[in-house]
Amino acid sequence: MTPAAARAGCSGGTRLPLRPAEWQLVLPLALAFVAFFAGPLLILAVVSAFDNEQITTVGFAMWTKFLGDPFYWKVIGDTVKLGFLTVGATLLVGYPLALVYIASGPWMQRVLIFVVILPLLTSVVVRTFAWIVILGREGVINHVVLWLGFAPAPLRLLQTELGLVIALTQIEMPLMLLPLLSVLGRIDPNLRDASAALGASKWRTLFQVTLPLSLPGLIAGCILVFASSTTAFISQSIIGGNRLVYLPLLIWQQSLVVYNWPLASVAALTLLLSVSAGIVALTLFGRRGMRHLHV
Amino acid sequence: MAPHSIGRRAFTIGAAAASGLALTRPAWAKGSVTSAIYPGSWDEAYRGIVAPALKRAHDIDLEMQPLFAVDQIAKAKAARGAPTFDVFVLDPGPRVTGINDGLFETFDPTKLGNAGKLPAGLADDKGTTVAAQVVGIGYNPKKLPAPRAWTDLFKEPFVSRLGLTGFQTTFGTVSIIEIAKAFGGSETNVEPFFTEIKKVLPQIAGIGAPAGMPGLFQQGQFDVMYTNTQTVGTLRGRGVDIEFASPESGAIAFFTTMHLAKGAAEPANAYKYLDTVIGKDVQEALMKAPYFLVPVNRDVPLDPSLPMKSLDEMSKFVRHDWSKINPLRASWIERFNKEVAK
Amino acid sequence: MSRRHSPSDMSYTLVIGVLASLALVILVGPVLVVLLTSFTDNRSLKFPPTGLSLQWYAELFDATRSRQIHRAALNSLEVAAWSTGLATLFGTMAALALARSEARWARMLDTLFMSPMILPGLAFGLAALMYFTFLGFRPSLNLIMVGHAIVIVPLVLRTTSASLSQLDAALLESSASLGASWFYTLRRVTLPIIAPGIFAGAFLAFMASIDNVPVSLFLSGPRSDMLPIRLWGMMESTLDVRVAAVSGVFITTVICLMLLMERVVGLTKRIRD
Repeated sequence: MTPAAARAGCSGGTRLPLRPAEWQLVLPLALAFVAFFAGPLLILAVVSAFDNEQITTVGFAMWTKFLGDPFYWKVIGDTVKLGFLTVGATLLVGYPLALVYIASGPWMQRVLIFVVILPLLTSVVVRTFAWIVILGREGVINHVVLWLGFAPAPLRLLQTELGLVIALTQIEMPLMLLPLLSVLGRIDPNLRDASAALGASKWRTLFQVTLPLSLPGLIAGCILVFASSTTAFISQSIIGGNRLVYLPLLIWQQSLVVYNWPLASVAALTLLLSVSAGIVALTLFGRRGMRHLHV
Repeated sequence: MAPHSIGRRAFTIGAAAASGLALTRPAWAKGSVTSAIYPGSWDEAYRGIVAPALKRAHDIDLEMQPLFAVDQIAKAKAARGAPTFDVFVLDPGPRVTGINDGLFETFDPTKLGNAGKLPAGLADDKGTTVAAQVVGIGYNPKKLPAPRAWTDLFKEPFVSRLGLTGFQTTFGTVSIIEIAKAFGGSETNVEPFFTEIKKVLPQIAGIGAPAGMPGLFQQGQFDVMYTNTQTVGTLRGRGVDIEFASPESGAIAFFTTMHLAKGAAEPANAYKYLDTVIGKDVQEALMKAPYFLVPVNRDVPLDPSLPMKSLDEMSKFVRHDWSKINPLRASWIERFNKEVAK
Repeated sequence: MSRRHSPSDMSYTLVIGVLASLALVILVGPVLVVLLTSFTDNRSLKFPPTGLSLQWYAELFDATRSRQIHRAALNSLEVAAWSTGLATLFGTMAALALARSEARWARMLDTLFMSPMILPGLAFGLAALMYFTFLGFRPSLNLIMVGHAIVIVPLVLRTTSASLSQLDAALLESSASLGASWFYTLRRVTLPIIAPGIFAGAFLAFMASIDNVPVSLFLSGPRSDMLPIRLWGMMESTLDVRVAAVSGVFITTVICLMLLMERVVGLTKRIRD
């Protein structure tokens, strides 16, 4: 402690002399969580432990009803699957776009950044309309497909899982690309040049240099996309239609149409737990990758 | 809290000046009343017609909170005893929930000068009716002939152009009940609907979220759906190709009611507001384009576009008992999810 | 620069090019649809537009006819600015501590701090309303702000943490060994490096707040009308084209801000050089 303080002292100026402990940095957010998030979460947990809609009888009937029904397990599975499909799709097209970004000049980079944030600038409300226009039976894609003669009749895209994943890919892409680009932009371009100079192919440079170094941004992006797409109620229900049943739809029905708040709480906590599990898996995957890199 | 609020306000004014938007806060009049209102066309209609009338007659400012019926009930239940609005506007299903959960103040219809103009029974100790809704089939006349019965919906050429919604909404629930009845079911037995829908599920154009239906219809995803006259009027007024058809078994009618919230801050102003809403001139103006709300005041001459000549004819329309429907709804919704889920 | 065009490198260019183009189409397509629709001369949202006009923008900027939209937009901007400010400050501080820590409590907190984004907004909104009512607070803009701040903090935390994990530990150590205080190192070494991450997170957070429906729905009181809720009503019942025009305004605003920043940043660069 003393040498550190002395060092800080001798460098002079109006600086904080001491390094704040980690817990001191976390404290404000932790307190805000205790004050404003723990309470609501606790309420959900308590409400979920009631047997009836009037919230008068304690019991775990709603948990057993929910977890004892294979249909709800399917819904949980479908929701998590939707998250992973969206992560996969945003990665598949988003990462190449990020590669183009780092290979571009400063002017082009600004244009690309603008394009990447475009989906955020159209409200969720009107975005759903745009996707109806594009995916619909008389929509843009079907016009092209029919005109080219690829199919005899309009394709069913709206209200299918495929259509929903395409739409979510656009909606969630900024969440993938902004963290990714902020990390990629900091990677020393000399590393890639060195790799090329040493005779590595572009593929090899991608997989051996760029991809590992961008892993922190990649994992952050995947986590955000996963969390956001699994809970995107408006997009899921309007673009996906009601034949695709995901947990947020169940939560909406139970909390706002039939006012079965215990069951709604069960569904909400189940979603929280299953998506958290997915995120932990993604994080572990990322940490392993990074450790591999450092060794 | 105070310095913070001042900072925020200063910031807002700065932001307003910077963005060039008009900073408009209502000037306080003698009093105000806060009413929940359906978002969209109801909000526009009440802002355009009721608010100025209330201001003129009683110098009361009308504040509105755009909320769907189900959201109002959820908010009132969660914030028990401290509602954020004085007046509910509800369809029959949420109304029954509100009564059962004791969310309303006892209502005194004698405080409404215009109550005598309503058909008997439309104002009681729970609240007052402010509009009727007539539900039937909406279809695109450029692509389909007029459907004549509920059963037509499950046959060609309609079924492959049909957009369905589930039991989430009042109009969806009553329409499904009528379809079930047409196939031999009853108000409490929608089993035939599930049997029939299973047969045609692959042909049906789609099952949508209620909120997305107008957009889906406009873009040609569906060309026939169940809906109410107000939606048809509004959409047609906006250039959408849509017509209203009453099924042979009769259009469905239900009432939209307003209620005093328990713990309402401004009950006296709320009565004045409700009296203004059901007044003849206001009801007549609300009936006209672009609002199309079905009036409940007997003195209002009905618009020829409505499927009835007088309010009394509505007694011939199909009505439902929501105290019987509400307890079944949860299981119907669950059933619907399971039957139609891919 | 490249010395040879091996088949492998050509396949790289082709595959990456095709996929990136696909990404561009997916990103831009729906926005083009919205923009084109906003210039329609039709009476409602319909694509393709039958003719072009600026009528919906004129209506959107009309102080009387769109008064409610303006009021809601102001509320939304106000809430977004404050909640983003809070979330960025608290989120960055927490990220500074958590991102490089291997401690078990740090990992657990890191996961916990993600949960507001995963808990469905509806459930959080309802539970928060019950909770705040229990504490004796009435729904208001302040409550919405707090609710939003909690819900958007994960965005800042994730992006900032990602940037931090790139920070070379040796760099920090050398700064410290040269006698720089922690705060000095933070200001001159750490923050410049993680600034893109913080900025990206703050932007995501701001837009998430602007676009939030469920939390606002339940925590709003009288006169705390929020933009997306109002747009939702307009779209749902009347297919009002102003919903699309709002997006046009947002896009134009961001273009202007980017150009403005370009000038300011370009200027400071020139001064510094």
